[in-house]
Amino acid sequence: MNSVYRFFYHLTRLVLGAVFIYASLDKIFNPGAFAQTVFNYQVLPGALVNLTALILPWLELILGAGLLLNRWMQGASSLAAVLMTVFIGLILFNLARGLDISCGCFSTSLEKGPMDMMTLFRDILFLIVAISLAVLTFYKKNAHYKNQLYTD
Amino acid sequence: MQSAVSRQSLTDTFREACFIILLSVVAGLAVNLIRTDSIPFIQGWSVESRLSQGDGDSLAISLSEAQALFLENKAVFLDARGKDLFDEGHIKGARSLPWHGVDDYFQEVIQGMDRETLVITYCDGESCNLSHDLALFLQNMGFTHIKVLVNGWTLWAENNLPTEMSDK
Repeated sequence: MNSVYRFFYHLTRLVLGAVFIYASLDKIFNPGAFAQTVFNYQVLPGALVNLTALILPWLELILGAGLLLNRWMQGASSLAAVLMTVFIGLILFNLARGLDISCGCFSTSLEKGPMDMMTLFRDILFLIVAISLAVLTFYKKNAHYKNQLYTD
Repeated sequence: MQSAVSRQSLTDTFREACFIILLSVVAGLAVNLIRTDSIPFIQGWSVESRLSQGDGDSLAISLSEAQALFLENKAVFLDARGKDLFDEGHIKGARSLPWHGVDDYFQEVIQGMDRETLVITYCDGESCNLSHDLALFLQNMGFTHIKVLVNGWTLWAENNLPTEMSDK
């Protein structure tokens, strides 16, 4: 693994890990407010709103921790890319519908104001980072598997 | 050899992703069981459920009741939508108090109102929650007579009740 590859691999995993952990904390501390945010998106049936509000922040926290600790990297980086894709889809959907709702991406507070194009661009940037990390992770793992095969 | 490597890689990815998801489900549900501010795993999010109060009363008001109060000039209507939508059209005489910015506009908007004033909040759409959020906020601020006209703007306009646009 050359040094440039190593630099980008660790940079992207640390940045993305920190972002996911930061994004999870307020939601974990305020489950009721986050459930309201999930409901406001108006994409889930009522029965799934609270379950999503309870589980999603922990998913962000655990995959963020995985990225920071360099553990379960294939699963964590892939899930990060999938989550960012879902978030972007939801933002696009609600921007298109003209719903005046908060993103709830990093905070359950309404002081952040409604989501807008900046929210979308920010998440697209995170998606690019997540996909880059997933690719770098697979590259690293594939090299590892090949070495194992040659050794065996 | 390449396909064996790819297969191994995908298997590991899937296994790790499932492990992370499983851990999140267990952690999320377990922590909710032991915390003091837990929420029900499954909760009704219908309009009736959301607007029902702890004492069994509902915040919701019917269009006919709201119309009667409007005609008798016995209620203040607060529009919880954004300022742009308010400017394009609102219930005649309503005041604009956008939920996103409530802290900024609150003091200005409630001028001339006392805490006993009957206030009817509204936004647009069956599932619009801005009026409900605004109603709860006003209750917290000490207002004692708050009602929510669900899907207010659409209902009001469809029934050809008095509306107006803002002066630009």
